[in-house]
Amino acid sequence: MALEQLSDVVQRCQALSDDGYTTEDHDVFTTAGRTCIEEGNSLQVLSIVLDEKNQNMVRSLGWNLLPPLVQVLLKEEDKNLPQCLAIFNHLIESCRPKELLIGLLEELEHDDPDRLADRLHLLLPPLQKVLLCLGSRKAASLGMTLSSVLDQLDKLPVPDTKEQEEDDVFSLCRCCTDLIQFARPFVQEARQTLLSRGTQRENSGRTAGGQDGEKEDELQTELLKFCMKILSQPLLDVQLRDPDTLPLSPLRMFATEILEILGAVGESLPALVFHPLLKRKQVPGFLEEEVRYPKTSLACLAHMVFVHHLAADTFPSVFNPVFCLRCNMEHISALLSRTEDSRLQKGLELYEKSLVRVENCSLPADLLEIKTFLTVPQNLIKVMTICPKDVLRTKGLKVFQLSIDKFDTEAKYRFFQYLLRTSNHSGVEGYIIKNIKNQINTALQPGNSNIWFEGVHLLPLLQRVFRLPDGPETDLLQYLDRVMESLNLLRYLVIRDKVTENQTGIWTELYKIEDTFLKPLRVGLNMSRAHYERELHDTADSKRKAKEESILSVSVGREKLPKMSSESQIQALHSALHTFDMIESVLVRIEELIEVKDSL
Amino acid sequence: MAAEPTREWSDEQLKSDDLPKKDIIKFLQDNAAHSFLNEHKMLGNIKNVSKTAKKDQLIIAYNQLFESKRFKGTEPEEDVAEQIKAVKIEEKPKEVKAEVVDEGPPKYTKSVLKKGDKTNFPKKGDTVSCWYTGTLEDGTVFDTNIPTAARKKKQAKPLSFKVGMGRVIKGWDEGLLTMSKGETARLEIDPEWAYGRKGLPESKIPPNAKLIFEVELVSVD
Repeated sequence: MALEQLSDVVQRCQALSDDGYTTEDHDVFTTAGRTCIEEGNSLQVLSIVLDEKNQNMVRSLGWNLLPPLVQVLLKEEDKNLPQCLAIFNHLIESCRPKELLIGLLEELEHDDPDRLADRLHLLLPPLQKVLLCLGSRKAASLGMTLSSVLDQLDKLPVPDTKEQEEDDVFSLCRCCTDLIQFARPFVQEARQTLLSRGTQRENSGRTAGGQDGEKEDELQTELLKFCMKILSQPLLDVQLRDPDTLPLSPLRMFATEILEILGAVGESLPALVFHPLLKRKQVPGFLEEEVRYPKTSLACLAHMVFVHHLAADTFPSVFNPVFCLRCNMEHISALLSRTEDSRLQKGLELYEKSLVRVENCSLPADLLEIKTFLTVPQNLIKVMTICPKDVLRTKGLKVFQLSIDKFDTEAKYRFFQYLLRTSNHSGVEGYIIKNIKNQINTALQPGNSNIWFEGVHLLPLLQRVFRLPDGPETDLLQYLDRVMESLNLLRYLVIRDKVTENQTGIWTELYKIEDTFLKPLRVGLNMSRAHYERELHDTADSKRKAKEESILSVSVGREKLPKMSSESQIQALHSALHTFDMIESVLVRIEELIEVKDSL
Repeated sequence: MAAEPTREWSDEQLKSDDLPKKDIIKFLQDNAAHSFLNEHKMLGNIKNVSKTAKKDQLIIAYNQLFESKRFKGTEPEEDVAEQIKAVKIEEKPKEVKAEVVDEGPPKYTKSVLKKGDKTNFPKKGDTVSCWYTGTLEDGTVFDTNIPTAARKKKQAKPLSFKVGMGRVIKGWDEGLLTMSKGETARLEIDPEWAYGRKGLPESKIPPNAKLIFEVELVSVD
């Protein structure tokens, strides 16, 4: 039935020219044609389509047959495959590029999550062919195509392990390879234009390109957009494996190709990586600076260059490591201000790599006037304290210490001051106070004397250390880390710095510290201990008595957490009391040491 | 107001070993203004002050007190010392070293291979463009931007950057400032003004490497 209809309409329209086809003709051709293919009559359709007399109609309306053809081609074992393939290829050759483009893109965007990779694999080559037929008007269409392709690519999961990449379980690797293949001729064209424009400019002096120049800029712009988008996704989420781990890595090759494309469209890698610090002249044209160079894309690029060394043989080896660090801080800030594991991992790696290239104790204090040198540590602290992944927390701490080690003495001083003032986290403060102790220890060694960790400047810093946030009412358990480290520092000072020398000035400050820190601490300890001992007693008592309903309850995921059993409560209380013992032991020791010095 | 305190001890008595430091300190703490005590580091536990202050210093302080008459009650009771300290915390201390001025000998040498125009010398902040080749002492080429037939045919451009701003290794920053447009020079840079102790392993530069660059200054903007 359908076959007859098709033959009829085709015959009827043989004599007509393109604009002679009625809507009915169009509909019949489309419906009948599609049905024939779906029903397996592709051989007949093929002969109709190849018939010389029908070429007008085929050229105008043939592209409407794409959907069922693609269906068949995706099936692979279908016995109609060869015929459908032949029809498909003929249509690609004969029909108008603009219409083919629409048809092919519709097929590409077809919602078919399981066959996504196969669709891309099938459709990219004809898309390439069609786009190349568009001649000098291809840029916008290429942009549209690349955008659609990337939207589809985004739906594919990224391999998590080296094995997953090797096996290409999600077919992402094959798609990336296909994509590079697809882009090749356009990249080549852009490259050629760049070269010839360069020679043109040399020959005629610096004159702007004419009409032609504008058009080619469009192609470059589309390819640039493409690279920037890919850098954000999927490359930012992909963990690239180094050659020793995975000698043949499709994803690493893909990433390297993207860098090549950037070069082909006239972008210099150093200029991109150092972009945050360079005042770029606004390029008149299609994209605003921020859209042209999205922050996350540049951050991904910097990571590829500095951590994976993907451009090692083309990236100049003349840049100052401190300058590199300054630029990278912007990228690191962009990466660390997100919560996805992959971004945090990359941010930490980039930070570590940038710091390692710098000598210890070399970074000056004026760097702290740059915003990112303060925001990055803040982000780092967030990772260290609240990131759910233990691996990242540990790495965060390691990089944090590394960053401290690279600062010179004055910078360390100011950095510690800043963090004590702003971090609001007992563990971090404790860690900083431990660092302060190490710095004082270094300063007291012969030949290392400095004005920051002994003498005049040390005292204001110590004032920040030796204080209780809420006076005697301070919750000693919450602030345990900070309190213990402060006490350790005080004990250290009192032992290490001889009264007769008083290099650190501690002995003249002691009376103040006693008033603002030691005495309130003593009071707080006594109060806390009394309170918890009472609680302990009450809990032991109430075990025998009926429990009252508590006012407060906690639920997680809609399930109410069970109340702590009395055993757990008692354990917790004992643990608290033990903590107070610990604090007290150091406090007592300090008091002893002060007494001893007094009585000397 | 209390009557002005009187001198208890003569100079001989002060110097005598029979007069313990603690007594002098006690007197001073009882009678001197807070700011006076602070300046002379006499605040706090007498025992501690006694450990840190020498007898001579105490005698001087004692005499100064009577000369300046800065007794308790002669100055406002507010904690002036605290104010001074508070200001000091925020203010940038003046002892901070000025920009590190490298008075030492330059850590690179330059030999001119081709003369420049001797007129256009770059200043700090100018954008310079150059072709260069970098080698290690043993002759290994670790970097170059000069296109050769062997390398992929790409659009090769001279390297552009702002000179004298710490964006490149110090040997380059200093060396290029002495070159004029069109000049080609050979710069031999000590590690301290190159990549120092760390080197740049991914670029084949080992630790403590002396670097040799042949640089042609193409343009100055």
